[in-house]
Amino acid sequence: MPRFYFDIDDGSRVTRDDAGIEFDTRKSLCDGAVQVLAGIAVDELPNGSQRVFSAKVRDEEGRYVFHATLSLVCEWMGESEATGRLG
Amino acid sequence: MSNALIMKLENGARFTKEDRARLISMCEQSHGVPSRTDLICEGDKPSTVKLVLEGWACRYKTLQDGSRSIMAFLLPGDFCDLHVAILGQMDHSIATLSACTIVEIPRSVIEELSDHYPRIIRAFWWATLVDEGTLREWLVNMGRRPSNRQLAHLICELYVRLRSVGRADGQCFEFPVTQDELADTLGISAVHVNRTLQELREDGLIRMQNRTIVMPDWDRIVDFAEFSPNYLHLHDKAGTTA
Repeated sequence: MPRFYFDIDDGSRVTRDDAGIEFDTRKSLCDGAVQVLAGIAVDELPNGSQRVFSAKVRDEEGRYVFHATLSLVCEWMGESEATGRLG
Repeated sequence: MSNALIMKLENGARFTKEDRARLISMCEQSHGVPSRTDLICEGDKPSTVKLVLEGWACRYKTLQDGSRSIMAFLLPGDFCDLHVAILGQMDHSIATLSACTIVEIPRSVIEELSDHYPRIIRAFWWATLVDEGTLREWLVNMGRRPSNRQLAHLICELYVRLRSVGRADGQCFEFPVTQDELADTLGISAVHVNRTLQELREDGLIRMQNRTIVMPDWDRIVDFAEFSPNYLHLHDKAGTTA
């Protein structure tokens, strides 16, 4: 089974994967990448109102073959005072 | 090497010379099992109680989609299935993670201990309660902490447990667990484990040399992991200093 390496950027830390994971189908690799990003987002959030998590996947020859991005965007609607208190 | 079972149980009992001699003779018949081998499978009805004398094993369950969840690490001195004599059938599986030395204790020996060695039976009871306390701590750890603190907490626990049976030296220990196995323990992906290990390394909480984990600053990792060893019920309070 071919091995793939996941380089992760969570907006504040970039980690290069040196261990890799084996996948046999395109779908399993795609699902794996989504699972990784979702798991990391759970760890990192809430921390800021704008975050982008991305995974770039390398094959064994070092070529990037897949890219996934997960974005968080939070904003208030209508007029609100920036006092921090609600109500 | 000193008997890990006695070192462990002496945290929960005051043994006499006779008690110790009985435990040592109980451990004389042992055999080696290679790494990553099933010791007992879910549904088995084992006729002996197995004890890990050396090496690492784990309790696990396999889910319907083929994935695996690891619920406990068994270290030197830990029983695999102490009360299977009462429950009858295994509700989970146990496999080695490294090469292990295993003792198989016939039920008749457990019965003999019940009749003649009350302190040993009390210590077995203590060990079962500590296993339950550890499981409670894991529930909290895996359910409520982010992965970096989860992993740091697990590392602190493993170190304190190994140290209590004389299997860890200084501030490091040999760690035979793969990233895939860690992923099955923490309930996260192997990529996430890799990233989390890297994060702990970059933050100076651990160093990894071959298969050894070094903790350069014990107080810092304990603080970061929110680790308190109280649930391990050890006499020497190994977790408070290192």
